[in-house]
Amino acid sequence: MNATVAAEETRPASLDAAGDARRLRTLQTVGMICGLTAGAWLGAAEAPTKLVNSGLSPVVVSLAMVVGVFLARWSLPALIQGTSYIAADLRQAPHLIVWAILAGCLWAVANTLTIFAVRDVGLSIAFPLWNSNSLLGILWGILFFGELRGADWRRWAGVIGGALLMFGGATALAIASSAQSASVDALRGVAAALAAGVMWGTMYIPYRKAYLTGMNPLSFITFFTVGELGMMSVLAIAFSGGVAPLVHQLSAARHVLFWLLAGGVVWVVGDLFQQYAVKYAGITRGIPLSNTNQLWGLLWGVLVFGELRGGPHDVLVKVIVGSVVMALGAGVIALSSVSRAEHARWRGAALREGARYGVDAGYTEARAIGREPGTIEYRRTWIDWLVVAAASATLVGFAATAEAPQIAVHWKWATALAIVTLAVLAGCALALWRTTRFS
Amino acid sequence: MDVRRDSASPSWISLVLRDVQFWVPVVVLAAGLLVLRWIS
Repeated sequence: MNATVAAEETRPASLDAAGDARRLRTLQTVGMICGLTAGAWLGAAEAPTKLVNSGLSPVVVSLAMVVGVFLARWSLPALIQGTSYIAADLRQAPHLIVWAILAGCLWAVANTLTIFAVRDVGLSIAFPLWNSNSLLGILWGILFFGELRGADWRRWAGVIGGALLMFGGATALAIASSAQSASVDALRGVAAALAAGVMWGTMYIPYRKAYLTGMNPLSFITFFTVGELGMMSVLAIAFSGGVAPLVHQLSAARHVLFWLLAGGVVWVVGDLFQQYAVKYAGITRGIPLSNTNQLWGLLWGVLVFGELRGGPHDVLVKVIVGSVVMALGAGVIALSSVSRAEHARWRGAALREGARYGVDAGYTEARAIGREPGTIEYRRTWIDWLVVAAASATLVGFAATAEAPQIAVHWKWATALAIVTLAVLAGCALALWRTTRFS
Repeated sequence: MDVRRDSASPSWISLVLRDVQFWVPVVVLAAGLLVLRWIS
């Protein structure tokens, strides 16, 4: 892929000049495809973690995944756009660095809370509670960023109804796939799950703020992960009783760390598309669509790892009903397109953001329609190749010492799902590239 | 494109600190850390 910004193909434009209905529809469709692709990859990210059954502390598992996430969040942007492009983006809106780090901190604490929630009340109760994050995200989108404002009642019903359908479907799936672990401390578990949902739902405020301003998702995630890794490291040290005990645990688990890092890398691919979904389809559409990750996680669990095999009839019924309801909800949301009136509200919110922070209006408007604001070409430098090489070498190093998984894997299904997931990625990346050049 | 801000305008850090939307995630983060401390 050419890392340069092809100036002749990215004509400077404003929403008035180029913001015709067809362009907006195309961007929105791409955003929704990104949301669905995010679901596939976020779901697939669960697969490598299922290969680990080492008795590791959950916080250490989470930290190892975040290290993989960190490697991918720095190497993918360097590979796709180059660090000079990222640096130029940050010079346009330096305040967004703070927002990105804040969002990363929110993610890390929320993720840790979910571990405790599952421990205390089990997945069946915890998952639907934290999955409410998309409902809160919709609320913030409406309150702060003008989403759904100016939309007719059908779109309101489509988004809210679709999100509720997905919430119901997710609840059925969580109950069905739960190990039904005994409640240890219900009140604390419920509080942890609710807090995780609130934190993840609130994390979409920085996302949307960044993308309304015009920041490229690839730029945002490079600093998002600083907050993510920093906060996760602090939490892991605190929960492990110090640096030395944490290092000891990581060292003892070095043979399985690769699978966790791999999970983190796959997760970043999904998250990146989720970011593009928020940018081009908004929180109200992008986040619920990416929450289809639960369906994909279930597919990997059932087909590849043999979960639910020989399970009770009622459990299988719940799985089927939950999956259908969730898919139905995603379909309803996907059909609730953004009207021109609503898009005008988005634009108003974007202009307010730009004015507040003194961001160049041409930059904000061009990025809003997936185009580059200028004609400068950004080329990859040796720094980009160094970043990519260092991340790759780290992964290869852990892979060299990795042990084969001690779990039965249906390789035919794994291969089939991997091919489908890669095909989804290729199709979506191509659409995103053709439409926005990954802007 | 001129990306420089007016030298008389406030710094971006002060603009962030005066943005109400900034304090919503900050308060939620603080509350989440308190919940984490309570449950662990």
